[in-house]
Amino acid sequence: MLRYIVRRLLWVLVTLLLITLITYLIFFVMPPTKPEVNFAGKQPTPELVAEVRRQFGLDKPVIVQYGLFAKRIFLGDEYGWPGLGFSFTTRDALKPIIFDRLLVTLQLAIGAAILWLLVGIPIGILSALRPRSVFDRAAMGFALFGVSTPVFFLGPVLLYIFWFKLGWLPGSGFYSIGQYGFEEWFMHMIMPWSVLALAFAAFYARMTRGNLIEAMGEDYIRTARAKGLSERRVVMKHGLRASLTPIVTILGLDLGALLGGALITETVFNLPGLGAFAVKSVFSGDLYAILDVTLIAAFFITFANLVVDVVYAFLDPRVRYT
Amino acid sequence: MKKHLMLVALVSALALVAASCGGDEEGGETGPTGPTAETGAGVTQGGVVREELTDFGFTGAFDPTGEYLGTAWSWYQQMLIRGLLMYPGVAGEEGNVPVPDLATDLGQVSADGLTVTFTLKDGVMFGPPVDREITSQDIAFAFQRINTESLVAQYGNYYCGTIVGMTCDAKSQDEPIEGIETPDDKTIVFTLERPTGDLLYRLAQPATYAMPPEVAGCFDKAGDYGRFLISSGPYMFMGSEDLDITSCDTMKPIEGWDPDSHMYLVRNPNYDAATDDVRDANFDGWTLTINTNLEDSYNKLLNGELDLLHGAPPAAILQQYLTNPDLQDNFKSEEGDRTWYLTMNLLVPPFDDIHVRKAANFVVDKAAMLQSTGGPSSGLIATTIEPPSVLPDLADYDPYASPNHAGDVEAAKAEMQQSRYDEDGDGVCDDPACDNVLMVNRNYEPWTEYTPILQENFAEIGINLKVRELEVGTSYTTIQTMNNLVPIAANAGWGKDYGSPYGFDFFLFNTAGLSCEGSVNYSNVGITEDVAKECGDNVVDAYNAAVEANGEIPNVDADMEACVATPLGPEYNACWAALDQKLMEEIVPWVPYRWGAANIALGDTVENYTFDQSAGLIAYSKIGVNNGLTIEEVTGTA
Repeated sequence: MLRYIVRRLLWVLVTLLLITLITYLIFFVMPPTKPEVNFAGKQPTPELVAEVRRQFGLDKPVIVQYGLFAKRIFLGDEYGWPGLGFSFTTRDALKPIIFDRLLVTLQLAIGAAILWLLVGIPIGILSALRPRSVFDRAAMGFALFGVSTPVFFLGPVLLYIFWFKLGWLPGSGFYSIGQYGFEEWFMHMIMPWSVLALAFAAFYARMTRGNLIEAMGEDYIRTARAKGLSERRVVMKHGLRASLTPIVTILGLDLGALLGGALITETVFNLPGLGAFAVKSVFSGDLYAILDVTLIAAFFITFANLVVDVVYAFLDPRVRYT
Repeated sequence: MKKHLMLVALVSALALVAASCGGDEEGGETGPTGPTAETGAGVTQGGVVREELTDFGFTGAFDPTGEYLGTAWSWYQQMLIRGLLMYPGVAGEEGNVPVPDLATDLGQVSADGLTVTFTLKDGVMFGPPVDREITSQDIAFAFQRINTESLVAQYGNYYCGTIVGMTCDAKSQDEPIEGIETPDDKTIVFTLERPTGDLLYRLAQPATYAMPPEVAGCFDKAGDYGRFLISSGPYMFMGSEDLDITSCDTMKPIEGWDPDSHMYLVRNPNYDAATDDVRDANFDGWTLTINTNLEDSYNKLLNGELDLLHGAPPAAILQQYLTNPDLQDNFKSEEGDRTWYLTMNLLVPPFDDIHVRKAANFVVDKAAMLQSTGGPSSGLIATTIEPPSVLPDLADYDPYASPNHAGDVEAAKAEMQQSRYDEDGDGVCDDPACDNVLMVNRNYEPWTEYTPILQENFAEIGINLKVRELEVGTSYTTIQTMNNLVPIAANAGWGKDYGSPYGFDFFLFNTAGLSCEGSVNYSNVGITEDVAKECGDNVVDAYNAAVEANGEIPNVDADMEACVATPLGPEYNACWAALDQKLMEEIVPWVPYRWGAANIALGDTVENYTFDQSAGLIAYSKIGVNNGLTIEEVTGTA
């Protein structure tokens, strides 16, 4: 198992390097905008452009620029380790900005994940146990609504109703626990969590339902019942364990992808997370910021894949790694 | 002798303006208006102005030496830092005329117009942690920073080549400038390369404001000083007093300003209102936070959680402001001193022919374009290059007039008939050069609304536009890259740097604005073969073809030189007015279609609303706010 994990970690590194190289080529070699022109002002004379290009390190050959970028990542730069470079827009180190924003995205993603698991899986189980009942139909109607309602629609609607009209919840913005206390933080996160969780909860409910219905028809379930186990034990110990294995795979991938930034939710609720930062960076041509966010998102996705594969070995006795 | 008299007249005229502005702290001729308009001493003292923005958008990381964003200039001038001169923070033409700030007056000009001397007021202090009186050396140091190549002074062109010894390529900010002398702590003398009519405007720009060398001198790369800006105005960054300036290594960015999220200002304890004739500084604090959701910001304003917002609101909210009687007074639409225009390339068929360019000016339905932008709240129909508050002489000038500004197809056809692209003389282009003519545009409203209007308009004279709608940055890069040879573009707009026509026109039409990448003279006015050769064979080919067909590309550099050397006053304006007329009638690089408005939405808490014409934003130094909040309550630091 250990050899397997080490081998996979090495592949994670190779994957990340490949992803940064491709991103580098896209944004540095064939950029839609020229950052050195953007940051030389409204009257970008050739002299100003040349000086900005020099300060941004864009005057070197592309391969050298990429080499320096990769070197900084592994060995650190003037702002510490890992070397994430500086922002063309603010001329500040990117590391503290990205780590601060990653924390916000983490709070959003983990809170939403807890919510969608708490809602989605029980709904899926109950629906599976009473297929075609009123509850099942209502639950699947909810699932259909959740999956088909986009965040950019639901977010403003909830804000309008619960903040602007009813005043039951506070409006948008991020209020950190450290600065504003738990209650303020929690109240401001309820709507973003709910909106982000809704689509996932609906999907997880459908998936749990389908998997459980399939599992409950398997021979080993009949055997378990024949052995006189209680229905509760049959469902929870045998049916659910098998049907939740694919859920773990999807959860890992979903969380990994969300940690790269829940762009629309962050934008609608004005949460300073990685997704909103990525969009801002793309529009302003802040190339190192784009690379860094890509790197972090790729890291979480590849790492989540690895974790899922390892967890599989514990969940499914048939899976063994060497 | 004549020049001497003109200079005396200039100084006298500006002194009169200064006196009138200095004595009236309530907003000059416009007077206070707004939801809770108050006058004079009736303005509430205290409170915190709360504002949001979708993005700071700084071009130079808020370091005054390089920063080129108009909103930043407003915050510097109205709240944070002080220079020899400033703008009075009022609406209309008067708001675009400099007045003394650190200087006791508008300066003494020598008889030959080549030396200008200023005396500084006593008792003006830098804020914490510098805590010392401002001297003339602090002004000189600001110029040394402009002159330093690595600091990328984005509008250094206004000083380099004008002040003796300024070349904008110095290797160190410690290098003194030959043409700037500080004989004592209160006197600064500028020696000029040539008489410069609008020098006072240039000295009112924030890059020239006093900077303490003991802090600013620690930063030798573009933008780095922005996080450490030392106040000399009525407000400072929250937490400025904690900045450790014992050495360059001990300084950490001031907490009240985080470019990723917020800017918080509090009162500067060293500010002495007795030294300031312009700023009222009524509120105690100002918070600006980033909100990526524009609609949400407007809902917060309507909910009383914010006090003001700048910029155009989303369409649904704009409609509320324009139609709801309870909200109409809370929405302001002011002259924005910005011209939106179609730019036509003098090198590319069919726009290499002046008659086609004139036909374009006649055929465009400017009224429809204004309507699709949001109607009168989005601005006025533009009839020439310079907005009227920058060049009032041309306020009634309209060389391509049409009924209701809806376009005059017959007049356009009459022009097209005279072009070489209409062989059969029916007023409709019949040359292949008029098929699939590339037009660059932005890919969002209202620009996308312009596309069908312009396609329909140009089709009337036989020009079939093939439109490429691009993200705004890409659209600019596309037309700024000369060898792309874009025939026509609708994405461009231009705002003034300062209220003199030079500050508007210079780079747009001077050969100094031409470059292979980053050109802002999109029409290529005055381009020469040498410049074309630098930018690629296709540019040379286009240049040669245009010259062969139409003669030399017209050049206005000499006209501009003559205007620059004219002393400020009626003759100066007349010179620039003549140049604009020449551009509009003899060269015709643009179709100006809208003078953009500056929109401001106010909460009911704002008092003494005053518009700052120079910045195109609210006059922060004049307004009050009656929300009774403290900065601790707003920022959660209580």
